[in-house]
Amino acid sequence: MKFSLGRYVPYDSLIHRIDPRAKLLAILFLMICIFFPYQSWAMTFAVDGAIFLLLVVLLYMTRTKIVDILRSLKSLWFMIIFLLLIYCLIPTTEPTFPLAFEVAAWNWRVYWDSFLQAAKILLRLMMMIELTMVLTSSTKPLDLTFALEWYMTPLKVIHFPAHEIAMIISIAIRFIPTLLEDTSRIMKSQESRGVSFSHGRISKRVVSLTSLIIPLFVSAFMRSDELANAMECRGYDPRGNRTRYRLLKAKWYDWVFLLFCAAVFGVLLWFSIDPRFNALLLFPAEVH
Amino acid sequence: MKIISVNNLSFSYDGEHPAIKDVSFDVEEGSYVAIIGHNGSGKSTLAKILMGLLNGYEGEVKLFDTVLSNQSITALRKRIGIVFQNPDNQFVGSTVADDIAFGLENHEVPHEEMEGIIHQYASEVGMIDFLDHEPESLSGGQKQRVAIAGVLAMKPDLVIFDEATAMLDPKGKREIADIILKMKQENPKLTILSITHDVEEANRADEVLVLNDGQLFLSGKPSEVFAHGKELREIQLDSPFLAMLIEALKKQGIDVPQGINDVEKLEEYLCR
Ligand SMILES: Nc1ncnc2c1ncn2[C@@H]1O[C@H](COP(=O)(O)OP(=O)(O)OP(=O)(O)O)[C@@H](O)[C@H]1O
Ligand SMILES: [Mg+2]
Repeated sequence: MKFSLGRYVPYDSLIHRIDPRAKLLAILFLMICIFFPYQSWAMTFAVDGAIFLLLVVLLYMTRTKIVDILRSLKSLWFMIIFLLLIYCLIPTTEPTFPLAFEVAAWNWRVYWDSFLQAAKILLRLMMMIELTMVLTSSTKPLDLTFALEWYMTPLKVIHFPAHEIAMIISIAIRFIPTLLEDTSRIMKSQESRGVSFSHGRISKRVVSLTSLIIPLFVSAFMRSDELANAMECRGYDPRGNRTRYRLLKAKWYDWVFLLFCAAVFGVLLWFSIDPRFNALLLFPAEVH
Repeated sequence: MKIISVNNLSFSYDGEHPAIKDVSFDVEEGSYVAIIGHNGSGKSTLAKILMGLLNGYEGEVKLFDTVLSNQSITALRKRIGIVFQNPDNQFVGSTVADDIAFGLENHEVPHEEMEGIIHQYASEVGMIDFLDHEPESLSGGQKQRVAIAGVLAMKPDLVIFDEATAMLDPKGKREIADIILKMKQENPKLTILSITHDVEEANRADEVLVLNDGQLFLSGKPSEVFAHGKELREIQLDSPFLAMLIEALKKQGIDVPQGINDVEKLEEYLCR
């Protein structure tokens, strides 16, 4: 079994080489600025378009495959319907664009604004997913864990278990393939006993699911018990001092990337809150 | 020096059914001791007690002349390594190098020394080309070799194998056996305690302990222990090929002296 979303794609790109700490923070900056509100439609489209271009560049640099991108967006169709429904039901008070259609009997008017609003949110969600993809496809899960641990380390003074949490996450990541293998093995053996996971009534399928979940849990617990023993025997003490095999070292281009993303964040924040940009970019219809 | 000294050890998981009953034995420095016994005879339980993973046993366990206790266990574990049966459940790191480093990190080996140590032991077990491989891309035998490298990197004085080759194919078994042999040659002071179902492996050991329902059933040199073929069969244990051969010869009226411990020697003796 393979996932496409969030899977690390081994490739030696510049983005891949950026320190995970810098990358995590930088991508976080970009993610936040995707959702900045702007006072005019023209501004919104201009900025969202610019971010979109930046994203295309990032995706190209990490060599993310088009099929993977499409696959990661597959689940969004539900959001499309949901958003359209919501925005069509909410009445537009100050329409910028002309009326799309109306049902006079129910006093229901839908302006093009509603569709644009839905499209905007959708585009932003898409960009958010793709940004996550840039991060996860260019960073090994373990490196991400290291980055998280590094950011959480200051919290140790308030006895926040930063190292333990990082260890738990990295072991969970390490065991995903093992547990997936267990799952398919148990499914096969239960299917050979006549259990069906894909046919029959829902109620029946739920029952057959328990015949998968219970053995899976038992196996997972047995594994974790043995793993805990093995770790203890190898001298692991979560509270003890440890040295590190992998040390993170920030290089100049980590700073360049981080500063660039921080600058994008700063500029867009300024665009978003400074009223002067209201008047700078306006559609004719928006001039009141 | 006695590496392991177990006196009147008894243990029960549930307080009712004993898993270990009044077991006593000693292991000398540099010896290779095999423990055999049928499923559920208490072999793994014994290994876990030696590693300090189980508490509440009766009797005394001494490792390196130090009584095993909650206080001494941390220091003792630095000198003992264990390789378990399931290769997946002891692979902690996300790559081969990280896994070998895991024990080093725990024992606060300085970062600068790690790379060298990892390279040394990875090449010792023939995994040097796989340092950045993830466990999913390795075979069971390769994972066990990584586990051995992780243990050896700690420079232990005692290594316990709890059916380390049970899940491997014959080729994997042979490779691990060769590594153990090489370990022994490089460091004659290394003591090995190997729990196994493979009587041929037990036959190569210096000493064999036979456990049956938690009790020490037989112990001694392989040739002595496997001379009791009938008793062993009664507790569902096989004898190695050699011991069976000697027994069959005896039935035919051909007496074979003690101390013949491999097929070549037997051949030589018979041809004379
Ligand atoms: N965690 C546990 N809780 C309760 N009982 C246990 C536990 N582990 C083992 N036992 C019991 O203790 C006895 C000895 O088990 P042990 O695992 O030591 O056997 P073993 O000789 O290693 O067998 P195998 O050859 O199958 O590995 C068995 O009767 C078993 O059922
Ligand atoms: Mg066992």
